[in-house]
Amino acid sequence: MEIKTTVKNLQNYKIYLQVEKAVQEFMEKNNYLKIDIPVLSPALIPESYLEIFETEFNYFDKKQKLYLTPSPEIFLKRLLVAGIGNCYYLGRTYRNSEPNSDWHSPEFTILEFYKLGISYLEMADGVLALLRFINNKVKNHKLKFDRWEKYSVAEAFEKFAGIKQTELFNEKLFFEKAKEKRYLNVEMPNLGVCTYEDLFSQILATEIEPKLGVSGYPTLLYDYPKQMASLAKLNEDEITAQRCEFYINGLEIGGFCTELNDYKEQEKRFILEAKKRKKNKMINHSIDKGFIEALKYGLPFCTGAGIGFERLVMVMANVTSIDKLKLINIS
Amino acid sequence: MRVNAGNLKKGEFVTFQGEICQVMKADFYSPGKGSALMKARLKNLITAKNVEYAYKSNEQVEVLDVTSVDMQYIYKDQENLYFMDERTFNQSSLPISVVGEVSRFFKEGEKMFVYMYDDKPLTIRPPMSVRLKIIEADDAAKGDTVSGAKKPVTVETGATVMVPIFVKVGETISINPETGEYTGRV
Repeated sequence: MEIKTTVKNLQNYKIYLQVEKAVQEFMEKNNYLKIDIPVLSPALIPESYLEIFETEFNYFDKKQKLYLTPSPEIFLKRLLVAGIGNCYYLGRTYRNSEPNSDWHSPEFTILEFYKLGISYLEMADGVLALLRFINNKVKNHKLKFDRWEKYSVAEAFEKFAGIKQTELFNEKLFFEKAKEKRYLNVEMPNLGVCTYEDLFSQILATEIEPKLGVSGYPTLLYDYPKQMASLAKLNEDEITAQRCEFYINGLEIGGFCTELNDYKEQEKRFILEAKKRKKNKMINHSIDKGFIEALKYGLPFCTGAGIGFERLVMVMANVTSIDKLKLINIS
Repeated sequence: MRVNAGNLKKGEFVTFQGEICQVMKADFYSPGKGSALMKARLKNLITAKNVEYAYKSNEQVEVLDVTSVDMQYIYKDQENLYFMDERTFNQSSLPISVVGEVSRFFKEGEKMFVYMYDDKPLTIRPPMSVRLKIIEADDAAKGDTVSGAKKPVTVETGATVMVPIFVKVGETISINPETGEYTGRV
């Protein structure tokens, strides 16, 4: 990797600053408290699909492992338990093993916010209002945010990939369908080659995502299979989770979910994730027990949203890669 | 050579669903849940059609061991481009649809690298830059030269290129054939 200075990106960088300002203005108007978080944390919550950066604090013979925070969630949720109310973070986060590409950078800016007392579908209106507010500030006339184009995940798989609901929610049928579609290395999960989550993401990325957010409106996908629940609350059907992701120009910009506040279920998911990390020989970090204690005390009913800030600016600036937004790139 | 799909690079050749394809684009993409992916655009070198496919970044992909042979571009017809190996005088042809838009900038007699696999030509390796003479331009075109106003000109292969207003007929310019962009006067 090397350092590159690209002053010709100045115009795009100015749009970056405009969007940043617009977000802060919107959040303030809507009574979200801005939160600053530590970059270095002594413990994290286990997540099996993202690798972290590890460093060490040294003072004489005292040493302590510290980790660059891969997400502000660990801090914001503690504050939510402590009663801080609606809040947001807009700043850097760090993820290892994610090389630079048009849509990724190992350090990136995230906008994460939590609103109390509402569920995921109610949050959809708020996110649309945020997008509209930003768009009005940067005056991008190519994009319209008057409404969502909405599909449930099941509808999108049926419409764009020809996979029926019965096939989507049945792992065996889903694998058979993928094989029929000639996906590579499709084996049943017990052989350890490919998981349902892997295949779901592959089909979504190959056949569905390119068709989303291209009709002039942003597309909202909602109700993910429970295997893709992450930290979202399950629906009453118990096969889907209250999780949404939204797309503009075929690119996933962000997502939100009704936060799981069942402490026991959360602990179960953490143990599973920690096991997967160990199995995949990922960095063995300390687990934030205080976070689990806080959740025991009770996370209020809320919806949390995360937006890839650079991706959002990319669509506002009509550019197709993150590096075009920056004056200084490390790649 | 087998590589992790996460290390696939633009320009490499792979077999996809039984057919030889060239990687036109390969970008890392992590959906956050499920394994990381390598989103690739693959050009089928028989049908010339592009197909999008998201590989799991940790799955093994066979990258074909191709050779590149220095050949002379001799001519084209409606469908194909013809090349000659100057040592053996063997001729090879490639469909214009497979080589793509870069062929608009090929001048007869120019040397070029042709990728071969199993003694069959696959496609060409586009030169980094080509030098072509302008044969038609509106030299009277006026514009604000400071803000970089441009005009269309025709080069000797018949292709149209956008150049700065000050460039005139008879001058030779360099062009990036992959993007079709003017890169300077020679």
